[in-house]
Amino acid sequence: MKFNRAGNNTIQDRVGLGWRPELAVGILSHLDRIDVVEVIADDLFDAPRGERRALRALSAQTAVVLHGVSLGLASSVPVETKLLEKTARLCEEANPEYWSEHLAFVRGGGVEIGHLTAPPRTDATIEGAAANLKRARDVVGSAPLVENIATLIDPPGSDYDEIDWIDRIIDSSPSDLLLDLHNLHANATNFGYDETEFLKRLPAERIVAVHLAGGKWVEALGERRVLDDHLHDVPDAVYRLLTELAAVVPHPLTVILERDGAYPPIETLLRQLDRAREALTEGRSRQFEQIEKEAA
Amino acid sequence: MSAARLEAFLAKIYVDEDSRQRFLADPRGEAAKAGLNEREIGSLEKIDRAGLILTAQSLQKKRRRLYRKRSKG
Repeated sequence: MKFNRAGNNTIQDRVGLGWRPELAVGILSHLDRIDVVEVIADDLFDAPRGERRALRALSAQTAVVLHGVSLGLASSVPVETKLLEKTARLCEEANPEYWSEHLAFVRGGGVEIGHLTAPPRTDATIEGAAANLKRARDVVGSAPLVENIATLIDPPGSDYDEIDWIDRIIDSSPSDLLLDLHNLHANATNFGYDETEFLKRLPAERIVAVHLAGGKWVEALGERRVLDDHLHDVPDAVYRLLTELAAVVPHPLTVILERDGAYPPIETLLRQLDRAREALTEGRSRQFEQIEKEAA
Repeated sequence: MSAARLEAFLAKIYVDEDSRQRFLADPRGEAAKAGLNEREIGSLEKIDRAGLILTAQSLQKKRRRLYRKRSKG
């Protein structure tokens, strides 16, 4: 951990934005305010050569990371080799700083779910995820960061709570954590646990990257839940969690804002990046004060 | 194998309306028919019904968007 004598935070956190075609012009014309760009790997698996060249051009201009959505690593079923090979090819071409995937299952029994879904939190999915992550590392050449997902349903058949389940996977795999703070916020709200306590129980030394996003309330059978839809601005609670996180994580964090639609002007998203930087700075200051106090 | 069967069963009731309706009408019967063990059947009998409905609605929208995107090439 590095702080200079004047007490300024010298941990080099970075803040960036998820690449979407609709945001391309805004991103490319504001690279001075965007430290890193996250590209969805699956969008480029079978893309024409021109699009893959564009990715290489982007990675020559700024830091690029790749994010996968279709591997379904948190499953008792082995991940498809074909998808890992596509990821490997893309990583070779784009040379990202890291790649990431979700702790989700996305298919079962020949049914493609079409999105990230929370698997039963059991020994079988812990062991399956650990085996899949090792295979991913072997085929791709580096282990992905793994991301906690949001869920609207308490996954049936579970033996562990979410945090114990994530802890066990991290413990038994080569992967570090991409912590999605809106997913954490949504699950804590939906299933009635304390989000700050949740954060404290995670291994800070294994959290490398962060996602920020927004969502909305949805309702069924008289129950309300937060849906992580990436269509709304980042709520205050998520910035507060980012501050809490920056107060305890001892190394630089890469923070990515995800937006998948209902796009506001780029300036609105850049302001959210600025707010994330402020939240990080506040957390780092708290960490520094704590270190000073302990040293005194 | 039972773990994979449970994942397959969940995938089906999350995305297929008919399967979901049959399951909601008779959770034990449908889960047993899928070859799940007693512990899994018990858990499915206590399923978070609001969560199941919201998950299915959310997936339906996302799948529609996904297929629209794929059909555009």
